[in-house]
Amino acid sequence: MNLFCKCLGAMALLAVSTLANAFDLQQLSEQLAKPDVIHGQFIQEKHLRALPQPLISKGNFVLAKNHGLLWLLKTPLQQDYRITANGIARRDGNAWQLLPNKSAGAEQNRLFLAVLQGDSSGLQRDFELALSGDAQQWKLTLTPRSVLLKQVFNQINIDGGELVQTIELLETQGDSTVLRMQDSTSGQPLSEAEQHDFAE
Amino acid sequence: MTLPSERRLPWLFLILLLAVVALAGWQWRDGAPLSANLMELVPGTNPDALELRAEQRMQEPLNREMLVLVGHADRQQAVAMAQTLGEQWQASGLFEKVQWNLQADLPALRTQLLQGRLAMLSADDRQLLSEHPDAFIQQRVQALFDPFNGFTLVPSQDDWLGLTGRIQNSQPKHGTVQLDIGSGALVADADGKRWVLLRARTTGNAFDMNLPLKVADLLQHSREQAAKSDVQLLAASGLLYAANGQQQATREMTWVGGGATLGILLLLLLAFRRWRVLLAFVPVLVGMLFGAVACVALFGHMHVMTLVLGSSLIGVAVDYPLHYLSKSWSLKPWRSWPALRLTLSGLTLSLITSAIGYLALAWTPFPALTQIAVFSAAGLLGAYLSAVCLLPALLNNVELQPAQWPLRLAERLVQLRENLLEHVRTPVLLALLIAFCAGGLVQLQSKNDIRQWVGAPQRLTDEAQTIARITGYQPTSQFFLVRGANQQQLLERQAALSERLQQLVNLDKLQGYLALDQLLSPPSQQQQVREALSKLPQYWQPLLELGVPLAALQTELQQLQNLPAEDIDAALAGPLGEPYRTLWLGPTADGVAAMTSLQGLNNPSLLRVQALDLPGVMLVDRLGELNNVFAATQISAAELKLASCVLIVLVLIVPFGFGGALRIVALPLLAALCSLASLGWLGQPLTLFSLFGLLLVTAISVDYAILMREQVGGAAVSLLGTLLAALTTWLSFGLLAVSSTPAVSNFGLAVSLGLAFSFILAPWAGRHVHRAAVVEPAA
Repeated sequence: MNLFCKCLGAMALLAVSTLANAFDLQQLSEQLAKPDVIHGQFIQEKHLRALPQPLISKGNFVLAKNHGLLWLLKTPLQQDYRITANGIARRDGNAWQLLPNKSAGAEQNRLFLAVLQGDSSGLQRDFELALSGDAQQWKLTLTPRSVLLKQVFNQINIDGGELVQTIELLETQGDSTVLRMQDSTSGQPLSEAEQHDFAE
Repeated sequence: MTLPSERRLPWLFLILLLAVVALAGWQWRDGAPLSANLMELVPGTNPDALELRAEQRMQEPLNREMLVLVGHADRQQAVAMAQTLGEQWQASGLFEKVQWNLQADLPALRTQLLQGRLAMLSADDRQLLSEHPDAFIQQRVQALFDPFNGFTLVPSQDDWLGLTGRIQNSQPKHGTVQLDIGSGALVADADGKRWVLLRARTTGNAFDMNLPLKVADLLQHSREQAAKSDVQLLAASGLLYAANGQQQATREMTWVGGGATLGILLLLLLAFRRWRVLLAFVPVLVGMLFGAVACVALFGHMHVMTLVLGSSLIGVAVDYPLHYLSKSWSLKPWRSWPALRLTLSGLTLSLITSAIGYLALAWTPFPALTQIAVFSAAGLLGAYLSAVCLLPALLNNVELQPAQWPLRLAERLVQLRENLLEHVRTPVLLALLIAFCAGGLVQLQSKNDIRQWVGAPQRLTDEAQTIARITGYQPTSQFFLVRGANQQQLLERQAALSERLQQLVNLDKLQGYLALDQLLSPPSQQQQVREALSKLPQYWQPLLELGVPLAALQTELQQLQNLPAEDIDAALAGPLGEPYRTLWLGPTADGVAAMTSLQGLNNPSLLRVQALDLPGVMLVDRLGELNNVFAATQISAAELKLASCVLIVLVLIVPFGFGGALRIVALPLLAALCSLASLGWLGQPLTLFSLFGLLLVTAISVDYAILMREQVGGAAVSLLGTLLAALTTWLSFGLLAVSSTPAVSNFGLAVSLGLAFSFILAPWAGRHVHRAAVVEPAA
């Protein structure tokens, strides 16, 4: 199952959540729902228990409200990914190659997009959501509820200000993944090439 | 008037009857000895013991499991309802196991994956590893960075080479069902709804008499309950077919039996205008009793289908009393014992010929027909005995004054025939009839299919198809049986078969298959993987560059080299082995055996070709075999028919001479031919069952020919007797034609047609042999 999607899902869920708080999920979701398109750079750190230093990869991402997500890995190897309603696709040469749906992964993916479209029921059923901080600096913690998920990971932490900054996944096995989203901007519309990528 | 022997007979018979009733009581001491197992009815094709075991293994889930889809537009509501129903069903006590969610045991999965790193690697991955080790390493590096690679059960430091991830990804997908990780439910998405899979396994199987009905009731109750929450249920199970079959049999028995009874009673009352004449129904009841007792005594139980078809015996059994009751039109005054004496020889001949006809059915390879034959023959004997021994005593003081209109009708019919014969001579009529037959026979088409036995309602098959479409689970009754001298050979043979089946899947001719070679590779392949791995250090530089410690890689390699070769039993023991367990048949007399199961509609002949030159592989297609047996039986049934005719001719030579006997038998045969032709003209297919029906008609209608030839009481009276007999028989058999089971309805149609033609042709049985001794016997 794809935890990464899960966090992105959680992130997008905030756009629709209706809980009330000092700085509540409602406000956070409104804040995150504003931009139609977010461009940014990411650094992914994979901390494996047995490795002295993390596996680091970098690239750009584009999150478009009505389309999905482009994840363009640049270093140490180049690989483009796309998540849309149709599933996860990988760019193979010039064409997008839809990856075979692994049973759990595909469901995750669907969940993610359902959440993007405003269906919060899935995430709220699977996770306890806890929010702290204020609009400029907040932290959201997701703790899995279901037995199955608890066997896979302990917690997901999401930090941010105006936009999401860090996503941290803590697996039960001791490994963890940190995604840092940097220089995110919401002013720029989709470029022609990006539109083309989503349309294909 | 009454002979001394005739005073004793009723008492002797009553003693016999009492004994039979006592026997029946003993047979029914533990409830009705009824069975609804369809497979008991179809002919055995004598598969060998292993094949039989394999078949039972494959059949078992069909007869014990129920697959239900709980559907709602909202996933959560569907899951909640599945959970509610699951708990209710578990509490019902009908099920051994009800499962709506997956309780994945992740630690056990991890252990199995790590343990099976050599044995469970797919063929593609093995090839990549040995032929392109550099690409193998490159892909591993990519996977480590890939955020969408998905979650792997085994942490990277336990499996730097990523073998467990490859094994996980190469597991065959089971249908289109997805795991809902929140609830653990299995969910499919179709028609705008979320469908949660609910599986239940019953404590007994579909052939327990009460279980299917209870399960069907529970399902119906659950459907109503779910509908209140706007949740839709779809269900498929052999149990539901069994329940439906039982309900249908009960319904049809009521209709056919009840309809025939009412019709016959009405006919008796209209014709003879005496309440006491309803006693003529006593032989019918006695006949049913004898039939049931004989059936249970010989087979241990009685099939519901025997009851349905056997209920048509009513019409034949009532013919015995009708034989002498109808003499009331000529015997004046009519007294029971003299009338019986007058017709006794005819009655006896009729019993013998009918019994021959029925017992001929017993020699077909169909257990169902054997039962029906025994039921009917014993039933006829009971009816005959009670008609001869008991009924005359019951009717001793009755003076029959039958209505005159039936006689006038018969006279008019006789006159009509005379007039016809004046214009058109018999040879011309015969020529016309033969032309009619030839024309019809040309159009006759033969059709045989085991599905004719099952009157499955559209609703059930529709639901099963919808479930197959939504989930992708579409088990087929065909499967491959694979044998090998040892596990190595067995797995190699299954792999060779899988390779061919995969081509069919790629061509969309097959939806999928499941074989042990998908779970693990043979020992020799495991050894090859071990060897390929030992060359890997030359290529793993990219992994070292990522920072993976050399020592870690070396330790892992050492572990892999030391993994023992995994055998089938070990692989099946783990959680990943679960779907494969039914396939493994284990050691046999000459090695080991396993099955390859199939999914999705397919073409049996295409499948058969796949196994042609693969040693140790055979397709088991019981349905196909049965259909072949059906076709072959058609021929043997025709032979039986001729044989039974020869036997009847031999019996009839004594009273009628060779020419007379031949003529009497030729008429029913001609009638059967006409019925065949009519089926052709009507566009109805000739099935094995219509043929059986005609086989029976020959036996019954010999009766009519005898009756007409004997001419006790004149042509019109004999014709009337024949008409009454034919009508009562038709009332019971003809009603079978409305059955929703194609086999039964075919049978009914064929008998109805046969009876009509037999009646029409009966007057040609000749009329001069018996001296017209109409009035004398009354003296």
